[in-house]
Amino acid sequence: MIRSELDLNYVDEIVVQCGTRREAVVPILQAIQRHYRYLPQPALMRVCELTEITPADITGVSTFYTHFRHQPVGRHVIHVCEGTACHVKGAELVRDAVALHLGLAPGQDTDARGEFTLQSVACLGCCTLAPVVQIDDVTYGRVSPRSVPQMVAEERHARSAPPAAARPAPNSRPGELGEIRIGLGSCCQAQGSGRVHDEILAVLSESGAPAAVKRVGCIGMCHQTPLVQLITPAGESRFFSHVRPEDVRSIVLRHFRPPGLVRRLGYRFARWLDAFYSNEADDAVESHALDVGGQAVCGFLGPQKHIATECCGDLDPLDLDEYLRHDGFAALRRCLRELDPPSIVDEVRRSGLRGRGGGGFPTYIKWQKARAAAGDTKYVVCNGDEGDPGAFMDRMLLESFPYRVIEGMAIAALAIGAQEAIFYIRDEYPLAVARIREALERCEQHALIGAGILGSGLNVKFRVAEGAGAFICGEETALINSLEGRRGTPTLRPPYPVETGLWDRPTLINNVETLACLPWIFRHGGDQFAQLGTGASKGTKVFALAGKVVRGGLIEVAMGITLRQIVYDIGGGALPGRTFKAVQVGGPSGGCVPASLADTPVDYEALVQVGAIMGSGGLVVLDNTDCMVDIARYFLRFTQEQSCGKCTLCRIGTKRMLEIMDRICTGQGRPGDLEQLEQLAHSVAAGSICGLGKTAPNPVLSTLKYFRDEYEAHLQGKCPAGKCAALIRYEINQACIGCTLCAQHCPVHAIPLTPYRRHAVNMDLCTRCDTCRQVCPMQAVDVVS
Amino acid sequence: MPTLTIDGQQVEVPAGATVLEAAEKLGIEIPALCFLQGYEPSTSCLVCVVRNRQTGQYVPACATRVVDGMEIDNATEAVSAMRRTALELLLSDHVGDCLAPCFFACPAHMDIPLMLRQIGEHNLREAIATIKQDIALPAVLGRVCPKPCEKGCRRNAADNPVAVCELKRFVADADLASGDPYQPACQPDSGKRVAIVGAGPTGLAAAYYLRRLGHACVLIDRQAQAGGRLRTEPTPEELPAAVLEAEIAQILRLGVETRWNTAVADQADLDRLCDSFDAVLLACGAVEPEQIAAWGLAATRRGIEVDRNTYQTQRPGLFAAGNIFRRKALVVRSTADGKEAAQTMDQYVSGRAVRGPGRPFSSRIHRLTSDEMQEFLAGAGAACHSTPAAGETYSDAAAAEQSNRCLACGCVAHGSCKLERYAILYQADATRYEGQRRPYEVIGRHAAVLFEPGKCIKCELCVKIAAGAQEPLGLTFVGRGFDVKLRVPFGGDMDAALSKVAAECVAACPTAALQFARHATTHPEDRCAAD
Ligand SMILES: Cc1cc2nc3c(=O)[nH]c(=O)nc-3n(C[C@H](O)[C@H](O)[C@H](O)COP(=O)(O)O)c2cc1C
Ligand code: SF4
Ligand code: SF4
Ligand code: SF4
Ligand code: SF4
Ligand code: SF4
Ligand code: FES
Ligand code: FES
Repeated sequence: MIRSELDLNYVDEIVVQCGTRREAVVPILQAIQRHYRYLPQPALMRVCELTEITPADITGVSTFYTHFRHQPVGRHVIHVCEGTACHVKGAELVRDAVALHLGLAPGQDTDARGEFTLQSVACLGCCTLAPVVQIDDVTYGRVSPRSVPQMVAEERHARSAPPAAARPAPNSRPGELGEIRIGLGSCCQAQGSGRVHDEILAVLSESGAPAAVKRVGCIGMCHQTPLVQLITPAGESRFFSHVRPEDVRSIVLRHFRPPGLVRRLGYRFARWLDAFYSNEADDAVESHALDVGGQAVCGFLGPQKHIATECCGDLDPLDLDEYLRHDGFAALRRCLRELDPPSIVDEVRRSGLRGRGGGGFPTYIKWQKARAAAGDTKYVVCNGDEGDPGAFMDRMLLESFPYRVIEGMAIAALAIGAQEAIFYIRDEYPLAVARIREALERCEQHALIGAGILGSGLNVKFRVAEGAGAFICGEETALINSLEGRRGTPTLRPPYPVETGLWDRPTLINNVETLACLPWIFRHGGDQFAQLGTGASKGTKVFALAGKVVRGGLIEVAMGITLRQIVYDIGGGALPGRTFKAVQVGGPSGGCVPASLADTPVDYEALVQVGAIMGSGGLVVLDNTDCMVDIARYFLRFTQEQSCGKCTLCRIGTKRMLEIMDRICTGQGRPGDLEQLEQLAHSVAAGSICGLGKTAPNPVLSTLKYFRDEYEAHLQGKCPAGKCAALIRYEINQACIGCTLCAQHCPVHAIPLTPYRRHAVNMDLCTRCDTCRQVCPMQAVDVVS
Repeated sequence: MPTLTIDGQQVEVPAGATVLEAAEKLGIEIPALCFLQGYEPSTSCLVCVVRNRQTGQYVPACATRVVDGMEIDNATEAVSAMRRTALELLLSDHVGDCLAPCFFACPAHMDIPLMLRQIGEHNLREAIATIKQDIALPAVLGRVCPKPCEKGCRRNAADNPVAVCELKRFVADADLASGDPYQPACQPDSGKRVAIVGAGPTGLAAAYYLRRLGHACVLIDRQAQAGGRLRTEPTPEELPAAVLEAEIAQILRLGVETRWNTAVADQADLDRLCDSFDAVLLACGAVEPEQIAAWGLAATRRGIEVDRNTYQTQRPGLFAAGNIFRRKALVVRSTADGKEAAQTMDQYVSGRAVRGPGRPFSSRIHRLTSDEMQEFLAGAGAACHSTPAAGETYSDAAAAEQSNRCLACGCVAHGSCKLERYAILYQADATRYEGQRRPYEVIGRHAAVLFEPGKCIKCELCVKIAAGAQEPLGLTFVGRGFDVKLRVPFGGDMDAALSKVAAECVAACPTAALQFARHATTHPEDRCAAD
């Protein structure tokens, strides 16, 4: 991509499109990067010539957000997710394996041929499929160091093949007798649902089987994806889980027998027509069938209460008519026709709704303040920057229920008198962005938003802004700075955004889930909502349940349910042979609740009491193979990397804390380290300017509180869970039969090939990638600390 | 108009005022590094934290608006601890030496780089004043000292140390030979009287500095003259008697009363002294345990028991310094002891808290990589170096040239730096938090404005000043988090970035991160005098 004379005409074009104001800087940079695959300096200088953006602004902004590159990028980008779920499932090993496979030297991110660039990303939002790797726009789930070479090879191959024909529009044949529903959220696609969907369409069109395909939003059962639901003409419903493309024919044709079968006998898969009526094919079909009445489904869905995720798995995310049929926009209509703004706020008050973005601030108070704030120009912002590693609730809501979130935003705008509503969505969620954009367009066509909402005189303009890779921009004051085209650093509150927000105007910022609860509240009444939950925590909460549980996924539960119920009843408990040790609640701002306190209810105050927080909804279950020191270090590393760098306590304090944690995890800990760590943790929490710094020490403090013995073991050079690479060794025990599998798979050849004899690991070469232990059929590989 | 209390003191301020402004109105100083009147607060340094008593929260005073009825804690230990932590964290990520390595290597803590600069500027009169600020016997030490300062000299690692000791001797000799040797001004008579037992290097130094501080001194010795071990340890070749006599005379000329041939043999003698003086210093060199017992004092293995910070014995008003408690120490150590004992005794007789001379605060770089050494060498005036042959003395030009080899390791902001000032005020320990150190670099070596990234505390003031003045290029932060750096956009240089407001930025920078270059003041004729 290096050209001696860069063609800058594109820059001129993009400036015409995005405008010349300072706030256009991020969209302009995004466009330039899409075009040139990085940000060439001449292009940035050209932007400064053409716009009011200064050299200092463009340099500061383009280096603040991690998605901007100042060096040419490889033709394909491999993103390795470093979210929590992926971390506990070995993402680091995967990243090392990719680097090794591409032959990257330390500090290098692009291979010599300029083909692939390796990048780490914060949670890709497919945690139940951890570890996750995304190559360009294709997501791979459950990657292991072992599967890396194949994955890269597949990708090379796919790139050389002509692009697959565009996927036909879904729901192309409405009104037919049967229906095949398939989830096409990011998680599902990562697990191959896209290919299953294509295959279903192919089978239907080839065979003429009488069924319509329906793309539906997330049902939350990520552990079962690709998940296909069949609704027979008789209305009977069956679920099939973990469906592979090759299973599709038998599943479909068995339920929807093509008409005039005989007529089509010449057609090319007639050769196994026989087969799918045989027992053999039955097995294939039945092995994927999911017993809806059984524990797996009932246990998972039973204890849930769907409000923000109402109708999950039933609705086509973008089918506006369907949403309207399901009482969509009835809440907005009620607000417009029956309520005035004060009574809208009052309904929210009665619901007891509190912010779902982490803080838990009573929503109605914010609304009241925004309403009362002086000024005619006001804004509503939907905070969709969800960046907590291990959390993907908001992504799912945006992808699956775009209309619901839009409706919630419209109600909020109505309540406070805002004329502009802005979605701020992180750019790691391209599907969410696309669906919201499309949904907005359709709403506008139906006069549901924009000028003259639902025939009223109201005018609320909606738009979408995309983040560019900065977790801190989820913090509301940083978000505003980002929207204004500045570096996304927080500012001290007060003043709060409801008084002085975007362009110094009153700005109401609410989380996606908070907004998604509103339509239900206004259809059923705030009192109904308040009947769910506990004293001060009302309604439901959506969680991303991931980590070491049998059934991970997206769940929505009534407040007050205990962590134990979530882990055991919904999640099906620990994995076979493991013991449940703790739940990490609230991500990098939260804490680890030990199994002994698992009866803690989901309640804002109760969780704080045990050293965690409600947070945005990440729930990562940890078992005996998880090292709590490593978990704390992982979260601290996350916040340390995401610190905006503005205030001393957070910028340097988290770094010093992390250095101590690194020492401890690598066996370099010293006496006094734990005390200094604790002292720093308290200072950082007390002295940081924004929520990131204030909560960053929580994972450390909570693990120090409940698992201090593990820290002390590390100081003695031992990692009890066998996780910390510097403190463990791989040994091969007597069970070894000399099958050579480990030696063949070891990526660094640390195991000499000695057929039929007991193998041995050369610890000087071993990178602790764990491959040998995973491939060994005899469980002959031990991790020793 | 809202009213608040700070440390219990009530004040009314205009609406919208900050806690910092309210404190100012009360005459309470709140430390602030990243705040500049006329600009939006950066809320970056967090050194200005105060505690809101009602919420229990720590908030930056510079940006927190007063709310009526607010109660603010400022002078509590908890608030000081938070400020100290902020300062210590800043210092843990700071690359600079407030004071040069030679300062710490010299037991007398002489300001060596200052002396060298003065020699380089041919200003020997100022140089001798600098020397005598800390060393009472420079011509003597210039001959007998084993030069620990030169071992600690940073330049030692590159080629050879700066010849600090010989240059000091050169200055002292020139001073003595001038016919009008330097005499410091003594402070007005304090009315306090001090007795010093022992007229060796320790006692002489103590007498010199006590006199400078305005106290009457009586110097007592068993011998018939001053000098102590300086008369026996060095050979006459090493230390000619004339030099010793001349320097002793300089000290006694300050008005020191002497009592020669007088022994302080036992406790009764000591009691008499203690009764008739405001303070007494024992400085009679190494003594036997029996002698200590005879004085009725406690002994350790090496000698008299003293508090090593304050030189106090367990007997009030009685101090001890030098080999009387160290047994065997360098002459320079003894003269340093004499000076420090004088400082503590001054505290004692004037009724102040007796804290001792105190350890000066300094951020320190410690070991340099070779690249970093190149940075320092690039800043040194002259690279060529010559030493006079043995037995010969320096010419003025050769001395200046040698002096200009000094890398000026100490920080140009020493004494005016806000970070240093608050670090001293809050007793910050620059080494409390260890961590990865950044490289020492100087950006814009040949520009008018130098930038030392390692000293930048990311206060954002220069960025704001440049933006406010609509500098065409200006400054910005690049990156974020721990790796955030101040940079000129598009790889430009500092002079281009600050075409209009360089002076404002340098003045506002709370540290030495931004500074005007002080190009070498070497006289052209000094360059390569040895060629
Ligand atoms: C570091 C940090 C990151 C945050 N990220 C998000 C986020 O991704 N989404 C979100 O809704 N709120 C996030 N918040 C909370 C927001 O600042 C704000 O409180 C929230 O959007 C308000 O909406 P709510 O009242 O509906 O919860 C974050 C806060 C901090 C301190
Ligand atoms: S606490 Fe951290 S993220 Fe927040 S403003 Fe300070 S440095 Fe930035
Ligand atoms: S894979 Fe297991 S059984 Fe096979 S050689 Fe390795 S250790 Fe032995
Ligand atoms: S900038 Fe200040 S703290 Fe840093 S070395 Fe210089 S004087 Fe010391
Ligand atoms: S170079 Fe100069 S300032 Fe540095 S240590 Fe040596 S004499 Fe001191
Ligand atoms: S260089 Fe600028 S940002 Fe850094 S300390 Fe000085 S004024 Fe502050
Ligand atoms: S997708 Fe990797 S942690 Fe969420
Ligand atoms: S934060 Fe207030 S002066 Fe720096």
